[in-house]
Amino acid sequence: MTGATVEPRTERLPREGQYQWVGIWGLPLRMMHWVAALSIVVLAVTGLYIGKPYFIAGGDTASHFLMGWFRMIHFVAAGLLVVTAIVRIYWLFAGNRYERWRALVPVRPKDFRNMLRRLRSYVMIRPEDEPKYLGHNPMQQFSYTSLYVVAFVQVLTGFALYGQSNPGGIFYGMLNWVGPLFGGMPVVRFVHHIFTWVFAIFIPIHVYLSVRADILEHGSVISSMISGGRIVAVDDEFEDE
Amino acid sequence: MFSPASYPWAEGVSLGEHLEQRGISRREFLDFCGGLCVVLGLSRSAVEGMATALQAMKRPSVVWIQLQECTGCVESVIRTAEPTIGNLVLDLISLDYSHTLMAASGHAAEEALHAAMQENAGEYLLIVTGSVPLNDDGVYLTIAGRTAKTILEEAAVGAKAVIAVGACAHWGSVQAARPNPTGAVGVAEIIKDKPVLNIAGCPPIGDVVTATVAHYLTFGRLPATDGDGRPLFAYGARIHDQCPRRANFDAGQFVEEFDDENARKAWCLYHVGCKGPATFSPCPIFQWNDGTDWPIGAGHPCLGCTERNFWDTMTPFYGRLPDVGGFGVERNADLIGAALAAGATAGVAAHAIATGVHQARRKRELPVVERPVGGGTAPNSPSSGKE
Amino acid sequence: MAVTKIVVDPITRIEGHLRIEAQAENGRISDAWASSTQFRGIEIIMEGRDPRDAWAFTQRICGVCTVVHAVASCRAVEDALDITIPPNANLIRNLVHGMQFIQDHVIHFYHLHALDWVDVVSALEADPAATARVARSISPWPNNSETHFADVKERLRTFVAGGQLGIFTNGYWGHPAYKLPPEVNLLAVAHYLEALDWQRDVIRLHTIFGGKNPHPNFLVGGMACAINLDDTGTINAESLVDIQAMIKRAQAFVEQVYWPDLLAIAGYYKEWGAIGGGVANHLAVGEFPEGDVGDLDKLYFPRGIILDGDLTTVHPYDHEKVKEYITSSWYEYGDGDAAGLHPYEGETKPKYTGPPPPFDYLQGLDKYSWMKAPRYEGRPMQVGPLSRMLVAFASGHPDVVPMVNEVLGRLQVGPGALFSTLGRTAARGMETVLLARRMNTWFDQLVGRIRSGDTSTFNGDHWEPSSWPATAQGYGYLDAPRGALGHWVQIRDGKISRYQCVVPSTWNCSPRDGEGQMGPYEAALVDNHPLVRPEQPLEILRTIHSFDPCMACGVH
Ligand code: HEM
Ligand code: HEM
Ligand code: NFV
Ligand code: SF4
Ligand code: SF4
Ligand code: F3S
Ligand SMILES: [Mg+2]
Repeated sequence: MTGATVEPRTERLPREGQYQWVGIWGLPLRMMHWVAALSIVVLAVTGLYIGKPYFIAGGDTASHFLMGWFRMIHFVAAGLLVVTAIVRIYWLFAGNRYERWRALVPVRPKDFRNMLRRLRSYVMIRPEDEPKYLGHNPMQQFSYTSLYVVAFVQVLTGFALYGQSNPGGIFYGMLNWVGPLFGGMPVVRFVHHIFTWVFAIFIPIHVYLSVRADILEHGSVISSMISGGRIVAVDDEFEDE
Repeated sequence: MFSPASYPWAEGVSLGEHLEQRGISRREFLDFCGGLCVVLGLSRSAVEGMATALQAMKRPSVVWIQLQECTGCVESVIRTAEPTIGNLVLDLISLDYSHTLMAASGHAAEEALHAAMQENAGEYLLIVTGSVPLNDDGVYLTIAGRTAKTILEEAAVGAKAVIAVGACAHWGSVQAARPNPTGAVGVAEIIKDKPVLNIAGCPPIGDVVTATVAHYLTFGRLPATDGDGRPLFAYGARIHDQCPRRANFDAGQFVEEFDDENARKAWCLYHVGCKGPATFSPCPIFQWNDGTDWPIGAGHPCLGCTERNFWDTMTPFYGRLPDVGGFGVERNADLIGAALAAGATAGVAAHAIATGVHQARRKRELPVVERPVGGGTAPNSPSSGKE
Repeated sequence: MAVTKIVVDPITRIEGHLRIEAQAENGRISDAWASSTQFRGIEIIMEGRDPRDAWAFTQRICGVCTVVHAVASCRAVEDALDITIPPNANLIRNLVHGMQFIQDHVIHFYHLHALDWVDVVSALEADPAATARVARSISPWPNNSETHFADVKERLRTFVAGGQLGIFTNGYWGHPAYKLPPEVNLLAVAHYLEALDWQRDVIRLHTIFGGKNPHPNFLVGGMACAINLDDTGTINAESLVDIQAMIKRAQAFVEQVYWPDLLAIAGYYKEWGAIGGGVANHLAVGEFPEGDVGDLDKLYFPRGIILDGDLTTVHPYDHEKVKEYITSSWYEYGDGDAAGLHPYEGETKPKYTGPPPPFDYLQGLDKYSWMKAPRYEGRPMQVGPLSRMLVAFASGHPDVVPMVNEVLGRLQVGPGALFSTLGRTAARGMETVLLARRMNTWFDQLVGRIRSGDTSTFNGDHWEPSSWPATAQGYGYLDAPRGALGHWVQIRDGKISRYQCVVPSTWNCSPRDGEGQMGPYEAALVDNHPLVRPEQPLEILRTIHSFDPCMACGVH
């Protein structure tokens, strides 16, 4: 088991047994996570306004730039998201075993079985029996990977839409195949719009499960995505050790 | 318009001589060429070249075939602007076949067509309006007992260039909308061995057609196009980026319902379904009918009529997003999406409570301490923690 | 003399794809078949769509009468959803539709129909001075000068001498049926050219209210063009002034060019007042509501039916009595091909049974056209300008009665001559004059309302689908340039479940029904109809063009 790499801090721990702080998430991944999380929230909020501008600016046109700001923020956040994507892709190869690409794809038959066991524990049937993973459990692997795919589609469709405003420009040149692929730009916009709801559904579940896991697993509310590691019982067995 | 008699230009006489006979000075002519260059997006340095090329010109033969269509595109070309000098441009051609305008009918008309194709083989310009129905061996359109496909293929053989005018010839337009009962397709689906220029729109602005013909006659080639075969000089920019209401869009000022206070201030039509953000078209720049106005200018959202499949991908016209698969995005998808998100949040809350209850039972069995952790093992001794 | 089989395909200078077949003996037509050879299936395409989009789809039925399907569609949906449009919107629709009539009729006369009567080549023999004298004797139009006609003649001479005849190639020039003296031919050629410029000017009225032409925009519930005198991007004083000037220019051309030319040319072809009458039942659904569309007493052109050429009685019209038959058409019905279906039960199921193309003849086949055959209480009906003028005349319409009497007097013919090829062409001119004048009234009313503070152009009460009943159906009537038009829509759960159109050219170009009754085109061609040179079917073109055929409309 790898040793700790991060500063110790106050934690709530079970009274009995041997415990160990294990570093799992490197700083780049954690940075990436929080920047991505922030930009996605911003993208969804600004995107939904762009999709249906509920607030209307009254008065004279020159003194307002409401939609302009929303779009501007959307595009800045879009840029940030792409930066995080680059970091994450690099880290798929440079990261530790919990961060590498293998850790994001459930491939072994055992993983699929464990996925079910994990689901079972979420509905609180024999939670003691749930499979233990240090990194992502197969459920997480599946949902995070799917989310990365959705985010990729958002980036693709987003930049394809963005490219429309400047047909001579780089994004248009790179992505003008996206429209025909989807069956027209309106369909691209449609997909971009619909996929936003995937985030809106994912975020509450994900945040809840993360907080819950923190509390349940080591009695802490400070997520491993902040500290970078988890505290685990020394004699625990992990499927992905 | 295509009125060869308006300022007839006889065979064997160059355009230069013709203009001279009509008392048009070289200065006026250069001005005209300058205007044309602006329309075509060419630099001023092209003016001289254009003038020289045009002046040396003989009237080339144009064959215009009309397939499965509504004749709106022909009407649109009949509305082209520029009263006197525009006539000139159109006098550049000899319109040898045109159902809408030609005097002859029946056999005499078909003879005129075949004569034009033979006498000008390899030289004539083929203009096509209308789509080609392919289902059931093409029985959905016959002329003189022959199918549209046969007629088009035959006419294309000797054509120097093919210009598909309007959404029908471009990709099938309304008759190709779901479920496309006749299997209507555009010209480029049939003619694969030579480039087909698509003048998109239902109908397109007539002036775009005449400018394209002028371009072809001047430079001996068709203008540069985008990926869909549409000439860049007209379809190179998006409506949304050229729209006078764009300032209102950026400001967040939208018409919420037709004829509301905001409509009376000519605010942006995004909210009521404007397809300008997805549509490449010269409407805001060229405008319609001699620069009089254009759809958005007259208060109606753009329908996206220059884009392929717009009858299916841009509908419902008064909604922002397409009704993919008849689902009703704005009515259903957003509702379902929001409901699922709310459901997820509620589910999460319920789950948290259930977990809390579950934990409460376990906690009694497994007390917890609070203390600092080092890098290694947790201390064994209980601390004076809260619990 | 033996029977000659004749095929005229394509019929040119019309909208769409029309094939006429005929048999002729001894210089007369003995039998005729009208076949429309294009089908698109727009009624099928309408199913499952948002009813508020229907106007745009159905508008593309035709780009020539580009306004009428859009308005009929809006009216059908408004009828179904119980929407009353604001009076301003109705006036704007009248102005747009009125200008459609005027422009469409003038283009028809000069660019589609005139070459049937005017020998372009003969105009080369005209004396411009004499032409100017003729022109000035019939009209004060300022362009009717000797120099102008000399200029036109010179252009024509150069053109013909060049040998590239373009659209005039292979015309039936020199045909004995051309009767106009060279001077009148030259006059007509000159006005052919002037009309080309005129039409694209006056049609800009559509662009101001609807953003473009062809295919201006409409809106269920009213019109999308907001009125605000104090904004640059709306209907304001500047646009109103432009519109008013256009109306004046339209009226001047119609009164000083079109109408005098028509009367002058008709004077040389009076025998056509006894040729090509055909079906003597006439139907007008009425048009130009000057109150609510439901207020049939306030239609400028009244509604009604004339049966068997009897002008003493105007029968009421009831849309429930319209049925479409497909005995001779390439469709099938669920209940068998003998059935007649009201549009609310209408079906559009194409089923081609004709010969595989390329083919030579359709005549004699049981089914020979894509056109359905509408019948009113089983009768074929003629529709169009003539039907409107007859119904108005028989109803004692204060503007139409003197107009008709004046024409009959000028041409020295009786009312019977109205039922003819010439009658159709003359009636078109009459209603154009009346409408060009009436446009001023609607314009004044619109300005009057705006002055009194009413700028409303849209009623959004039933815009949202949530306000619609689960099922609804509506009928949108409209008398289009070519005649009576109806759109029938059924809506279920916010989507169109059935859409049927019965169009002017469907009535006029209908093939034979189960009783063997011919449609109006066919019947007209066998009504005392000459055909001197079967290989140059000029007379067929005269009669067919007098209906102003629109095949894209008729079949849709
Ligand atoms: C917009 C909001 C968020 C998004 C889109 C998001 C997305 C993700 C993704 C994609 C991963 C997988 C990282 C990888 O291995 O590549 C992840 C992991 C994680 N996230 Fe988030 N996250 C969000 C917010 C949060 C919040 C608010 C928390 C904490 C309360 C959190 C805690 C975690 C933790 C602890 C992990 C590691 C899970 C594990 O134990 O394997 N996330 N998140
Ligand atoms: C998680 C990621 C994203 C979410 C949730 C999101 C959400 C949205 C939403 C809901 C809309 C409105 C769609 C409509 O109804 O028309 C939108 C519009 C748009 N988004 Fe995104 N988006 C994301 C990423 C991106 C990215 C990476 C780009 C890249 C530039 C982008 C560019 C755009 C553009 C150009 C528009 C259209 C704005 C306009 O036309 O004015 N989006 N986005
Ligand atoms: N027939 C017809 Fe139309 C007209 N007028 C239709 O309603 O022409 Ni295209
Ligand atoms: S593209 Fe539109 S306007 Fe042109 S013929 Fe086709 S339907 Fe008519
Ligand atoms: S009216 Fe349409 S094209 Fe113009 S700014 Fe608004 S959304 Fe864009
Ligand atoms: S509907 Fe067509 S005409 Fe122009 S404004 Fe839109 S592209
Ligand atoms: Mg029908």
